[in-house]
Amino acid sequence: MITIKGISKVFKEGITGKRIMALEGLDLDIPKGEVFGFLGPNGAGKSTTIKILMNLIFPDTGTATIAGKDVQIPEARKRVGYLPENPYFYDYLTADELLWFGGKTAGLTPSTIRERSDFLVQKVDLDNARRRPLRTYSKGMLQRAGLALALIHDPDVIILDEPMSGLDPVGRKMVGDLLVELKQQGKTVFFSSHILNDIERFSDRAGIIIKGKLRLVDSLTNILKGNKNLEDVFLREVASAEGGVAA
Amino acid sequence: MTSLWPIAFITFKEGIRNRAIYGITLFALLLFGATALVATMVPREVGKVSVDMALSTISFSGLLIVLFVGINLMAKDLDKRTIYTVLARSVSRPQYIVGKFLGMVLLITVTTLSLSVMAMAATFILKMTHAEFFTRFSWSMIALSVFLTTLMLILLSAVSFLFASFTSTSFITLVLTIITYIIGQSISGVKALIESPPQALGFTVSPVTMKLVQAAYYLFPNLSLFNIKLQAAHDLPVATSYVVWTVLYGVVYICLAITLAALIFRKKEFP
Repeated sequence: MITIKGISKVFKEGITGKRIMALEGLDLDIPKGEVFGFLGPNGAGKSTTIKILMNLIFPDTGTATIAGKDVQIPEARKRVGYLPENPYFYDYLTADELLWFGGKTAGLTPSTIRERSDFLVQKVDLDNARRRPLRTYSKGMLQRAGLALALIHDPDVIILDEPMSGLDPVGRKMVGDLLVELKQQGKTVFFSSHILNDIERFSDRAGIIIKGKLRLVDSLTNILKGNKNLEDVFLREVASAEGGVAA
Repeated sequence: MTSLWPIAFITFKEGIRNRAIYGITLFALLLFGATALVATMVPREVGKVSVDMALSTISFSGLLIVLFVGINLMAKDLDKRTIYTVLARSVSRPQYIVGKFLGMVLLITVTTLSLSVMAMAATFILKMTHAEFFTRFSWSMIALSVFLTTLMLILLSAVSFLFASFTSTSFITLVLTIITYIIGQSISGVKALIESPPQALGFTVSPVTMKLVQAAYYLFPNLSLFNIKLQAAHDLPVATSYVVWTVLYGVVYICLAITLAALIFRKKEFP
């Protein structure tokens, strides 16, 4: 469903144009119906990978496809729902208007938009705030509004960048339940996180990316085999990437 | 293409609810009130002065909307990354630019029309109370002037979109748009002046200055073409061909600016 082949990305920083290798020869294949957890420390390249998938930035080399379509074609995003990290929306729009926008751009009919909006604002617990401007929302509420927007068109592929970030324990449980539900519905979910527990709880497979290089990709069962927990594996990979020894 | 309307609609809604719009409208209302006051100080010219001031207020308030609401609408998308909300849908970058611009066109049209209604009301009251000084007066000329002012504001907004497509901050876009407005309003007069015979000018213009002014004349939009406030205030005739050519010039310039902005934006990244 999601295929990434040999993607590399270099960013130039500052006036000196210092080159920073954000991604190096990334290969990844996520089949239909899988929940894939993308794990890595801050600045590892998780968001860069997601932004390439969403065509927000362009790879220097390599290709990425979703459902066989090159991500650089707008059509590839037709059946994709995306939640950015720390989402920020239009200040003066309401959640209802945001969902109307999402539905309209996905080609939904007005009655389907109403139906899906009613369902989703209840699901993310924004029913009482749906007609309030988004600028009055807390960070967690914005995150939940973003989730509703990502799901308004009932997409087949859901890409979530740090979906638990900024959420209180209730919100985290809600997102967790949602991930389980999406998995049961057979959706393909690609989510990034640096919270090991989230990856361990919700993923079928996980990938560990460090300094732009994919260090490990396997099923959670295989990753955890012979290891105490995911933290052990993760710290070992980080130490190995740094050229040191795991604590 | 079905994505254009939703983008235009949210742009319009976001713009019309912006607090700056209320401030600008209040400012315009005060100026319309001042028009009544100032115009009555020159009783014989009350008709001309009131029309001229009302049209100038519409034009100036519209300019403030383009500069401080329009540019901000686009800048916020880039600075705060609200653009992700749009580009994550099946929307291309050129569609984003066109949709956003259509929203801005709607915003300029609605605000200019609202300001015009207020201006017309203020003028109407003065006309009722000082009918004898409104002998050379035409509602249609006022409407034509408002129409051309609206087109000029849309053109300026298109140019600001072009700047926003390649600049890194909204401040640079704002400065470039203000420079364009100043040059656009005066370039035709400056060109006419420097092309006058040296005897009439009293000095010789260097060939470099001449070339620079000529280059600016063809590069920057000639915004003074859209200014027929004087004719509207004095009810002087404006040739139909002049209006047609001006509208055509405006539409072609807008299309070119937006096409160029869309082409540049196609390659823009949002890390």
